Amino acid sequence: MLEIKGLHKSFANTGVLKGIDFRVDKGEVVAVIGQSGSGKTTLLRCMSFLERADSGYMIFDNCSCDMTAVSKKEIRELRMHMGFVFQSFNLFSNMTVFQNVMEGLVTARGMDKEKARKKATEVLEKVGMINRAEFYPGELSGGQQQRVAIARSIAPDPEIILFDEPTSALDPELTGEVLDVMKTLAKEGTTMVVVTHEMGFAKEVASRVVFMENGTVVEEGTAGEIFSAPKNERTRQFLSIS
Amino acid sequence: MSSRLIEILTSSFFKILIPGIKITIPLTVLSFAVSLVLGLLLALVQVAELRFIKDIARFYIWIFRGTPLIVQLFIIFFGLPSLGITLEAFPSAVMAFGMNLGAYNAEVFRAAILAIPKGQMEAAYMIGLNYPMTMMRVVLPQSFPIAFPSLFNNLIGLLKDTSLASSITVIELFTTAQQIAARTYEPFALYCEAALIYLIFSTALTWLQDWIERKLKWKSGGSEDAGNQRTA
Repeated sequence: MLEIKGLHKSFANTGVLKGIDFRVDKGEVVAVIGQSGSGKTTLLRCMSFLERADSGYMIFDNCSCDMTAVSKKEIRELRMHMGFVFQSFNLFSNMTVFQNVMEGLVTARGMDKEKARKKATEVLEKVGMINRAEFYPGELSGGQQQRVAIARSIAPDPEIILFDEPTSALDPELTGEVLDVMKTLAKEGTTMVVVTHEMGFAKEVASRVVFMENGTVVEEGTAGEIFSAPKNERTRQFLSIS
Repeated sequence: MSSRLIEILTSSFFKILIPGIKITIPLTVLSFAVSLVLGLLLALVQVAELRFIKDIARFYIWIFRGTPLIVQLFIIFFGLPSLGITLEAFPSAVMAFGMNLGAYNAEVFRAAILAIPKGQMEAAYMIGLNYPMTMMRVVLPQSFPIAFPSLFNNLIGLLKDTSLASSITVIELFTTAQQIAARTYEPFALYCEAALIYLIFSTALTWLQDWIERKLKWKSGGSEDAGNQRTA
């Protein structure tokens, strides 16, 4: 489904990603865990070209490409098949919930308005936000905003959805409602990469867990392998603190 | 106050007000329209990082902010004819005011665009919008309410600056007051009267600003009031 080889990225001479190999198969839920600053978020941002990699190779959709040489047009094409859920939701504050969800369908993909309305209704029902469809983001709680953001990202039926710490900006009592929506998606076979600090979620939902440290993948395996019998010393330390 | 003075003031009030309505206001509105279009374009080419065009925009702003408005007026009205370009007084004034304020409004728009959190653009890109779509649908609609108070500030400034058009033979509010003052030898009373009429105009603009700002707030939602009403 999506594969990355030899991904390097540094900011101002500080190496953040030091040769990452990463793959996601169809229907997998991959949880990426690790300390703050380990490069998890940067990995996701390079995969979606919000940051430009210094070197690396990517296979996704019809593209097998050098990540440093992809054109703007190709990036937009790739993003048409990707969903992205941000830590800080980033709902368009000038649009209602409904408009937020329809925007990617109507403006970006030229979908017929009636069809888009139907699709938006469907995804908003799925995340339990249809009764807030006419609200503006500023009128919603953080958890509600994130559920709308998830609806917005799944509306165009992307092949893969990238979640960048989707619950880190939420009060503890609001994380549950967002995680529940993500669990539903996982059960439906949605391909997901989730950068998270929610170990409970990773343990329960992830089909594979990737532990990162200092810009490298230290260990990866099934949730069972990583959480009950981590091989690497650093993984053991990290899991015992968190 | 002598009855003669009262007589002069009352009879001149409408004589000054009418060119105010017929010349000063259209001059202000047209110049402001020019400055908005120009300012938005100058801001957009700068934030889009269009290399060469961006430099032209910076150069333009440098010139028009760095030289006096009255000098710009004189160059356009008295100077351009020697290059073979002759304009009537009114269009010369619209051009000078519009181009001058365009430089200032460019900075207002640029600041308002830069004030939009980067995450809004990133989210727009990730749902598949390209750069022009992102600007039109997400960034500019959010920038406008931010730019609005400063733009209106400049509009009120412009209203008063149009009195400079008197120096290039436009018969507007202030020119008329000058003519009557010269005829009646009552400069103090007549210039105070002109000031009063400018004040009436700018007060009306202030009310208009308040009214539009309330509308903008309502439209963008998110105010405490709107939230409470909706959840109640």
